Amino acid sequence: MADSPALELRGITKRFGALVANNSVDFELKRGEIHALLGENGAGKSTLMNVLYGLHQPDEGQILLDGEPVTIDSPRRAIGLGIGMVHQHFMLVPVMTVAENLVLGAEPRSGLLLDYKGAANRVRELSQQFGLAVDPDAKVEDIGVGTQQRVEILRALFRGAKVLVLDEPTAVLTPQEAQDLFVVLRRLTEQGTSVVFISHKLNEVLDIADRVTVLRRGEKIDTVSTEGATERSLAGLMVGREVLLRVEKPEQTLGEPLLTLEGVSAEDDRGLPAVNDVSLEVRAGEIVGLAGVDANGQSELIEAIMGLRAPTAGTITVDGKDVTHCGPRDTLAAGVSHIAEDRHRRGLVLEFDLAENLCLREYKTPAFSTRGFLSPSKMVTRARKLLKEFDVRGGEPETRAGSLSGGNQQKVVIARELTADPKVIIAAQPTRGLDVGAIEFVHRRLVEERDRGKAVLLVSLELEEVRSLSDRVLVIYEGRIVTELPPESSEEDFGVYMTGGGRDERAA
Amino acid sequence: MTPKRVGWAAVALGILAFFVAVPPLTVRSPIVVIVLAALAMAAGSYAVTAGEKRIGWGGIVAGLVGLVGGYAATQSGVANLERVVVWGALGAATLRYATPLIFGAVGGLFSERSGVVNIALEGMMLMGAFFGAWGADMTGSWILGLVIAVVAGSAFAAIHALFAISFRADQIVSGTALNLLAVGITGYLYVQVYGDLGTPDDLPSVPNVSLPIDWLPLFGDVFGDLNLLVWLALAAVLVTWIVVFRTPTGLRLRSAGENPLAAETAGLNVVRTRYYAVMASGGLAALGGAFLSIGFLHTFTQNMTAGRGFIALAALIFGRWKPGLALAATLLFGFGSALASRLPVFSPSGAVLFQALPYVLTLIAVTGLIGRSVPPLALGRPLPRS
Repeated sequence: MADSPALELRGITKRFGALVANNSVDFELKRGEIHALLGENGAGKSTLMNVLYGLHQPDEGQILLDGEPVTIDSPRRAIGLGIGMVHQHFMLVPVMTVAENLVLGAEPRSGLLLDYKGAANRVRELSQQFGLAVDPDAKVEDIGVGTQQRVEILRALFRGAKVLVLDEPTAVLTPQEAQDLFVVLRRLTEQGTSVVFISHKLNEVLDIADRVTVLRRGEKIDTVSTEGATERSLAGLMVGREVLLRVEKPEQTLGEPLLTLEGVSAEDDRGLPAVNDVSLEVRAGEIVGLAGVDANGQSELIEAIMGLRAPTAGTITVDGKDVTHCGPRDTLAAGVSHIAEDRHRRGLVLEFDLAENLCLREYKTPAFSTRGFLSPSKMVTRARKLLKEFDVRGGEPETRAGSLSGGNQQKVVIARELTADPKVIIAAQPTRGLDVGAIEFVHRRLVEERDRGKAVLLVSLELEEVRSLSDRVLVIYEGRIVTELPPESSEEDFGVYMTGGGRDERAA
Repeated sequence: MTPKRVGWAAVALGILAFFVAVPPLTVRSPIVVIVLAALAMAAGSYAVTAGEKRIGWGGIVAGLVGLVGGYAATQSGVANLERVVVWGALGAATLRYATPLIFGAVGGLFSERSGVVNIALEGMMLMGAFFGAWGADMTGSWILGLVIAVVAGSAFAAIHALFAISFRADQIVSGTALNLLAVGITGYLYVQVYGDLGTPDDLPSVPNVSLPIDWLPLFGDVFGDLNLLVWLALAAVLVTWIVVFRTPTGLRLRSAGENPLAAETAGLNVVRTRYYAVMASGGLAALGGAFLSIGFLHTFTQNMTAGRGFIALAALIFGRWKPGLALAATLLFGFGSALASRLPVFSPSGAVLFQALPYVLTLIAVTGLIGRSVPPLALGRPLPRS
């Protein structure tokens, strides 16, 4: 049956309690095709693929592989049927070697023992065959994310995958690494593998995919060819309304420097230098972007500014006040707001309700407490006002923060941090994991703050975001500011500096 | 000479400072001890300043211990010293005291490497001690006694697995509950079965292995006449190392303890892996308990494990979840116990204090003073719900 599609999902419905994650979704993957699955967060992309990979059982519907109906009740079964999955968060064991990770679950043996040499050789063969360079004896914790992803892809191929599912594969990659990945995927399809490419990034979907299936709120909206599709048309399908893809930025009026770092250095948790001699200045009325690949000292730099990590050298000044050795409370009091990069760990107390979360900064002030006792009613009144103003949906002041969706949680963080009327705003990955609609909201608020004369330091791994929001962009690499570029510079220029100036190409 | 070598030399000198003062050398002059210890500390300090902090501090501590121990030895009577420090007997006693700890530690290693905290080793050991004795008594065979002990230990461990893995209960709470339960079960059955009389005197016991190596100095005394279970314990360490680090099964076991989601994604059954690991853990710990009742003491008394399960766990942590290092830790703790049992000649209270040694060393290990002890990443975390 050469004409039947490699994979077909028919009328897949999956419910979690009252929530319908997938409502009668159809999906068809042709042999040798790259088919993108596009949708906002919570649109049901991952659920659909988890059904395919045997992690969830569909309530209704049918899965056909090469025209044959199959039941997939476990990942083991999915692997056996030739379905491979590369997860968004890599499913690797950090302390083990590449070879060990690759063969896990289907180990070559010599007698009763693990044939490690055989495994390593198998890795070398595969890596040659598919042109994916990896060192079988390297420990996974010592290799970069791009290489880890190659290991995941190789593992799927090693287990005989004919259908390869990639869940937001470019989220952790540099633009260059993403391009490398695309080359690999095209080569794989030439060799007969079919690829499902899950994403919410429009440009890369247009770049890599042959066809796109758009999901919205658990329903399939349409399947279109990328031929003739535009970012605007896809965004419309995805969100169901017209979306502003470009941020409108009025002319800026520059003021005094509000945040100044001079020669700041800091160490990471292991005591190794993470931030090296960073000097920067953010003036009133500008957004300064900090572009860089993950784990190049951004987190440590932010923590140093916020007083969460003691700098080993240098000074940090907020509006003329030295906050170098202040703790978080004094730094906040000096007029700094912090949209934390990890809203679960730093941004919110998930077990607290929204009213409590919203006054984490000011609970001690007379507005919310008298003589050491909190005034819950005042907290609730203000929370109600803020939730409305910042359009937080699905939550009352009494709702537990952990039960909100990611986008709405982020709105709560932003509501709290912006109503404190800060001078300086540190926005770390402010749109991480948010969908198009919420991203639009966050971007608009940040630009508004800039126009009101705030100094905004935007730290993001999304180059696109840094470029579209910032007035100027600093590039950080291995804890140093390596250059300043105008935001209009090409993606390639940024890519070069973000990976160390092109001098030492990352070992493959 | 590299700073690292200097550091090791410092450790050796520190040990030597103590060694010269006890039989067979029995140097009586404190000067020798002091000079050697001072050299050790100097070499240790040099290593620290040269960047080899860990081993350098080890040398300094060894020097201090050598100084205190050696000086104390020079100040005590020769007769007392010769009664306490009999290396051959000390060595054999070390192995005897270490055996239950070895079984417990390698047992714990299986469970913890698969990601399940096993604080219930104590209870599993106690079950093994009772059912080993009871089984041997009922069947008249120490072999069947051991088999019954292992079955009882594994079955008991399955309860821990049920709560910790299937019900996703807090593993510390489940383990603690099991320890208390074991005291209850064995205590009740002991009273029911044996009443006031205690276990019979003719309880079958695990035989000793006599080797014709009497003529070997020291070795003959240490290894010539050990209980079969002592040898089994040493073999268990080797087998554990091979299974956990050299077989596909071990790879799967460790992946379940490091990143269970990765293991699931690779098509493995983490729940089953963890069940087997915890039950293997119980069986091994039970052997350690059976050694106490039918290998060593030839009787069962209530709560006879007396914390050895916890010390085994401490040895496992001190040994960084590695079989060889854990063995070294159990031997160190065993040596402490062997020495402590002879120390009352000098000071009864000091001997008791010595028993705290394992816990002190474990605290030092977890604080990272001698190289950080990094547990398996997913230790104590149930498999996330999908």
